Amino acid sequence: MSDESIHQRLSAAIIAGEKDKLSAAIEDALKGGTPPADIIEKGMSPGMKDVGEKFARYEIYLPEMLLAAEAWETAMKILEPKFLEAGTERKKTGRVVLGTVKGDVHSIGKNIVGAMLKMSGFEVFDLGIDIAASAFVTKAEETGADIIAASALMSTTMPQQKSIIEHLEARGERGKYHVLIGGGSTSQEWADSIGADGYGRTAGDAVTLALKAVAK
Amino acid sequence: MISFATVVERALNGPICTERDFELDIFVPNLRKVVEKYGIKYDPQHPVPADDDLADRVWAAGLEFLGETGVYCLDTERRILFTREEIAGALETGPRGTVFGEGRDAKKMPRRSPEDKTPPWCSVGPTSSPVSSELFYVNLVQAHAENPLGDSITIPCLTTVNGQPIVGGSPLGIEGAIRAVLLTREGMRRAGRPGMPIVNGVTTAAQAQEHIAAHRFGIRNTDALEIGTVHEMKIDFDSLNKIAYSLAAGSLIFAENGVILGGLAGGPAGTAVVTAAYNPVDLLLLRGAVQHPFPTHFDLGVTSARDTIWARSLANQAVTRNSSLPVVNVGYSAAGPMTRMLLYEHSAWVIGSVVSGGSVEVGASARGTALDYTSPMDPLFASEVAHAVAGMRRQEANGIVNALLEKYEAQLRDPPTGQKYQECYDAVSGKPKPEFIELYREVRREMADRFGLQFKHASPYL
Repeated sequence: MSDESIHQRLSAAIIAGEKDKLSAAIEDALKGGTPPADIIEKGMSPGMKDVGEKFARYEIYLPEMLLAAEAWETAMKILEPKFLEAGTERKKTGRVVLGTVKGDVHSIGKNIVGAMLKMSGFEVFDLGIDIAASAFVTKAEETGADIIAASALMSTTMPQQKSIIEHLEARGERGKYHVLIGGGSTSQEWADSIGADGYGRTAGDAVTLALKAVAK
Repeated sequence: MISFATVVERALNGPICTERDFELDIFVPNLRKVVEKYGIKYDPQHPVPADDDLADRVWAAGLEFLGETGVYCLDTERRILFTREEIAGALETGPRGTVFGEGRDAKKMPRRSPEDKTPPWCSVGPTSSPVSSELFYVNLVQAHAENPLGDSITIPCLTTVNGQPIVGGSPLGIEGAIRAVLLTREGMRRAGRPGMPIVNGVTTAAQAQEHIAAHRFGIRNTDALEIGTVHEMKIDFDSLNKIAYSLAAGSLIFAENGVILGGLAGGPAGTAVVTAAYNPVDLLLLRGAVQHPFPTHFDLGVTSARDTIWARSLANQAVTRNSSLPVVNVGYSAAGPMTRMLLYEHSAWVIGSVVSGGSVEVGASARGTALDYTSPMDPLFASEVAHAVAGMRRQEANGIVNALLEKYEAQLRDPPTGQKYQECYDAVSGKPKPEFIELYREVRREMADRFGLQFKHASPYL
């Protein structure tokens, strides 16, 4: 099988979100001598880029994003040991601790952000919904995160975003992490008022902010 | 209909399943299967479809999807499953002709169907939009209650108590919920409509204990508590607790389903099917007297986009042709108050909903999220449009909605912000500024002259 053909197979499996087919394509590529870095850069990444572009054009939606992100993570579990065997490590774009704040159970927006961050090369630690402020901070400490991203849909749960910043300040760690906020009731004005580092109205905004944060 | 206790038993003992597996191994494939099987396809040229067969296929797809998928309980990580017979039984024996409100303000909620001449129910109000002061809060409620077409009130969301931001789940949440109800009752009293029903009790209350507190301090059994599912086809103990309390207290329930277009339901076709599937869920699980759907765009945060209007119109037709549970749609528009675009957006989604068999809750501006970006004028206009199009053919409505969409859809991502309540109204007198009245008159004339809408009621601002 030609390099081009294997790259297309990898890309197609990512776009379709088919983790079994992607795993099989990776095994074949490795057997055929394709370096792990090429599998990612020339096969999977173009597929991810295509997924992101289709999502931006409203041609695909969250399920396709989640399946593609899941396939990507499955693939990385196969490929990361190969990098270690070769004495190298694939550089992550950054680490993000993500969650919906205490008292709030809305997850769709957060999940879209998580999928898009993964596609942009971030390692995402999704804590889920109804997450206490201290849990964001503790997870960030555990994982050496670059970014804490907190979602709140309701006006009565927005104050929990402020609480995360206050917990960071109480532990003397405010400067260690970029705190990004989003969610239905939030705004730039709110982000400024609580001292957050960024506000994203959409998932695309969140990725742009995250990339800027780690580029600093 | 099976009992609520049976539903709770299933939440506690149903098949175990992780949330990930529910979403990606059950929900998504089941939905894709029925969308394909029943040939549900989005047609952007027809934001208000007029195909009864398509509507009935959406209904059939929704029932099949629900039967195979069930509802996921987040707290127990179990599926609540319903048989086809149980779904049919709920549709057969669900509530009919529920009366909301008291005294002179009591009124029966109509069951409408596509192109129905029956005037739609109009719930008026800031639609849960956040408001910064108690003065604005009371003024807003009073002005909305003075809307002659308003059948019920949808109250704003109070954001502070004595200057302290309300934190859901804290004692401030309890106080905020109680105060919101008392302020609403006062606003309606000032308008001379003390019996007007509140149908989104209680916006300021995030959690069950806050609902219960608000009920103790002024929500009546002829009001409705608004209780929703979690996106998508999920429920948690907090919502189940709200339902348990409401049933014990004899309260009515507005069963809320805001399917996210672009979320787990996928695109417009899946969104229409899931919205239809929620109708029996609203009976069996949420024990609703009304289905209160608002498919919302994941990226734009509105219900006034072309694809959300299509999904909602089609789901309305599917439901109102096949179920007796009335539908009241709520709308979220992008533009802020005192903008031409907001009046166009409200008109577009209201027309799609009403000709498709729905009633309306009008309506939120600035996506319903920006502090104080709300006014009584825009919902007044929207309620007049709702009454003007009752009985209109769907084909005609489609032409109007297309023309309106062409005026604003390119601006949905970056809409005009408009003015805050205290800027476009005199916050002391509670009256609109003259330039706002002029804008209202201009667009009203345009709707009559260009689109032939016949406004049947005397407006306070003509």
